[in-house]
Amino acid sequence: MTLSSGMQHRSPDRVAVTGRILEGYPKEQRYTLAMLQDIQKEFQFIPRESMELIADYLELPLSKIYSLATFYKALSLRPKGKHVIKICDGTACHIRSSQMLANELYTLLKIRPGETTEDGQFSIEMVNCLGACAIAPVIVIDETFYGKVTPAKLQEIIAQYGDAFGQSDRSGGVAHE
Amino acid sequence: MKIVIDGKVCEAERGEYLLTVARREGIHIPTLCHNDALPGLASCRLCIVEVVEKGWHKVVTSCVYPVSAEIEVFTASEKILRMRKTLIMLLAARAPENETIGKLMQEYGLEKPDRFKKENSSDCILCGLCASACEKIGAGAISTVHRGVTKKIATPFDDPAADCIGCAACASICPTGAIKVQDKSGTRQIWNKTFELLICPDCGKPVVTREQAEYLRKQMQGNPIEYSGDGTVRCERCKKASAADRFRTAFS
Amino acid sequence: MSNPNQADIRMREAHLSEGTLRRDCRTVLVCCGPGCLANDSPAIAKALRSKIDEAGLDVKVHPLIKETGCQGLCEKGPMIRIVPDDIAYYKVSLNDVEAIVEKTLRSGEVIPKLLHISAKTGKPVLTLRENEFYTPQVKIALRHVGEIDPHQIDDYIDHGGYGALEKTVKEMTPDVVIEEVHRSGLRGRGGAGFPTGRKWKQCASYENSPKYVVCNGDEGDPGAFMDRSIMEGDPHSVIEGMIIGAYAVGANEGFIYIRDEYALAVETIRKAIEQARERGYLGRNILGSSFSFDLSIVRGGGAFVCGESTALMASIEGKVGEPRAKYIRSVEKGLWGQPTVLNNVETWANIPVILTQGGDQFRQIGTEKSTGTKVFSLVGKVKNTGLVEVPMGIRLRELIFDIGGGILGGRKFKAVQTGGPSGGCIPEELLDLPVDFDSLTEAGSMMGSGGMIVMDDRTCMVDVARYYVQFLADESCGKCVPCREGIRRMAEILEDICEGRGQESDLDLLLNIGETMAEAALCGLGKSAPNPVSTTIRYFREEYLAHIQERRCPAGVCRELTTFEIDGALCNGCGLCRRDCPTDAITGSTKQRHVIDQEKCIRCGNCVDSCKRNAVKVR
Repeated sequence: MTLSSGMQHRSPDRVAVTGRILEGYPKEQRYTLAMLQDIQKEFQFIPRESMELIADYLELPLSKIYSLATFYKALSLRPKGKHVIKICDGTACHIRSSQMLANELYTLLKIRPGETTEDGQFSIEMVNCLGACAIAPVIVIDETFYGKVTPAKLQEIIAQYGDAFGQSDRSGGVAHE
Repeated sequence: MKIVIDGKVCEAERGEYLLTVARREGIHIPTLCHNDALPGLASCRLCIVEVVEKGWHKVVTSCVYPVSAEIEVFTASEKILRMRKTLIMLLAARAPENETIGKLMQEYGLEKPDRFKKENSSDCILCGLCASACEKIGAGAISTVHRGVTKKIATPFDDPAADCIGCAACASICPTGAIKVQDKSGTRQIWNKTFELLICPDCGKPVVTREQAEYLRKQMQGNPIEYSGDGTVRCERCKKASAADRFRTAFS
Repeated sequence: MSNPNQADIRMREAHLSEGTLRRDCRTVLVCCGPGCLANDSPAIAKALRSKIDEAGLDVKVHPLIKETGCQGLCEKGPMIRIVPDDIAYYKVSLNDVEAIVEKTLRSGEVIPKLLHISAKTGKPVLTLRENEFYTPQVKIALRHVGEIDPHQIDDYIDHGGYGALEKTVKEMTPDVVIEEVHRSGLRGRGGAGFPTGRKWKQCASYENSPKYVVCNGDEGDPGAFMDRSIMEGDPHSVIEGMIIGAYAVGANEGFIYIRDEYALAVETIRKAIEQARERGYLGRNILGSSFSFDLSIVRGGGAFVCGESTALMASIEGKVGEPRAKYIRSVEKGLWGQPTVLNNVETWANIPVILTQGGDQFRQIGTEKSTGTKVFSLVGKVKNTGLVEVPMGIRLRELIFDIGGGILGGRKFKAVQTGGPSGGCIPEELLDLPVDFDSLTEAGSMMGSGGMIVMDDRTCMVDVARYYVQFLADESCGKCVPCREGIRRMAEILEDICEGRGQESDLDLLLNIGETMAEAALCGLGKSAPNPVSTTIRYFREEYLAHIQERRCPAGVCRELTTFEIDGALCNGCGLCRRDCPTDAITGSTKQRHVIDQEKCIRCGNCVDSCKRNAVKVR
């Protein structure tokens, strides 16, 4: 396999961790997605060096891995924030105004779905139905579900996340009302 | 077995693709993503035809539809023409300035669609032939990236393709001429990467890139191409000419 | 209910669950389905457990708490049930725990405020069966969900679990198994409704090996969570179904493909597989026979298109989830080019019941061509949202107004969306349509996997169509032209219409693109993608025309086309709208007519929803 140009910037940590993940799998293409998912869980995104290592390990062109990593939504090529806020935009949530929640989050955090706050604290994702339609609209922060969320409730929820509003905003007191 | 295409009785083997049968019989079905050397991609859908089997009508893509029964086929029924026109209109909305699509529009008597936004137009219709060819060659330098309406063909990270050997097979197989390859002053530029072109020692014309020559040498062990390693490689025409010379010398 | 046998089955079901309860001690069932989980049900379970332990020191009450899967009526969660007394409490909070232990468990006293109030009689009801949400339901696929502890294989076995497998492996040949499934009339619950027995028969007829069985647990329809509930609430019924299927077609290896977002389902199934292996239901020489079979989990990558069988198989193989043409079917050449049977979660969960009771018994329920039951997630603007299982052929009206309790806030029903992005919107005039595979398809929609989203007059049908098309724009694999380019242009046109740039010719153009997609797209996703658009045009054309010709959104959803006004004759100045307005656009003194400042109004519609007198009008 050809060495990629990103090679020289490899982080030794990532290489080591990725290596350990790959060792757990036989050298078969069918495990590519599972490897990528493990890597995603580990780093909150798929580092380039991990993809290169998978390509080497499975003796596949890097383009194959890259194609896979960009196809599946569970995988992200960009690092995500410490807390990932998922706004469910399933039908039930949509007709119960999930878009308002996205707007409210923009007011609170100044980011839109797909973006990460500058301090790396939060990322927002608009996601497909999370299967909790009965309590729509739903948001999930990290692994915690919040149902029947209103813009007002959203402020309270976000405020729970520690240094949620980052250094700059803390003095401004955006938190509880 | 016998099948009927547009009223013409044709002989077909079981499992043979409908498009292959039609083409053999000289019946024209338009395609963009089809190439005999590669497995059917069935992505452009222009080759749709109407198949009637035991009285049932269905629309199938002829490039991957295997003949398995005595069917009747209509390649240009009213319905097929209507849908094919919609497909061409959709392609034209994507690639409004493209010559190949322009010709198709002419052939089907279509005007340029003006209902749609012009943003993000592209000559690439994402048929996938280039990636398929690149994979077949063994380089695998390009692939589809993303999905849905944002899908594209690219190298990993849009970087100069590490695995690309500059053979330009992708560009030559592309039905819409969407892949830019530039050969000038002894170099080739493709996929953001510049390759040195090896020169034929006899005629002085550029032949292949160095990477391609190296790759071929590795692939065809025992049947080396005439690659000296000094930056020259004999082109096909000169090779034939020199073989003819040797032939003449030997038998004259 | 038309069929007397349905009542029979219900009674049998009730009998079954009572008979297997441990009468020596009471059991408290705490629902830990997705809806209740989000409302802190594990904390309630924990508190109950510790309170009961405390109380247990001086009182002889030893209830056993089981964390069950979804009980269904998520709207009223968190929900707990006390059996065998059969008391159902709803909207239980941590503050209620003490009262439940002290009053109900210790003294047998019922707490009225936690009971369900019947929408019909206005009176509180004690048991689950008396609750109108449950009365018409017939539980087959969900037979154990909410009844058993999904993490305990013994609980499943106590409820008759793995009995069907035992019978199959010891007493039946594969042909007889297939015949039984065929006779049941079972059709695939994943959407298209292909007869399961026929699929198995075809797969069994191929000689090549290995063969595979696959479970599609990549539930992706927005508004649907049936499969999730089954996997989380009764994993063994899926596993047992798959083992039986593998025995029937001659497969030795199987895969359960589960959406990665369903972390709990993945974990529950993983545990269940381990337990089944320990007990010899999976692995070599199952139950002492010569039949060997094992299962593994594949986590989905987050791609709706992987609900499409050929894309799902590509994904299991570690490839991009792009479908292929299905002219050669998966039963002949599926996973790694080998004969493969793929069914969805609910289909597999039905299998053990069919083999225990027999195909003839099974087909007594439902209609002639759509036998058995179907699980729906009833959501949207309906009072009782949740998971329901009803006999096929039930009328939409019954489902929405009897079980669902009607429309939220007493508003007007407008449409019900079935089948997710592949389905369509069914209008009021078709409310008496029987819910079965063929009737829904005829109406331009489809059964799909069972999402049922109720919409009221505050739902804009053009916006709904746009929503689904935009969903698919992101979820199409992008391989074929009609789907990728068709969806892209449909989205563009629908956005124009919603934002006031619609043109008269747009409807014809949408239908034209739709026809080409339906016929010429590569896979089911693309072929069915126009359904939400074509059904809304078919049944709600005037609403489209209002957007296009009058630049007006009658539902008050499309912001660019909406103006809200307060009707002075109806407004009593209660101030609710003023309180709920996020931009302070509404002014007025108490008991005086309120007014909306159009400059400040962001058209969120909160005022419409908060007004009790329906005084906020859409102009």
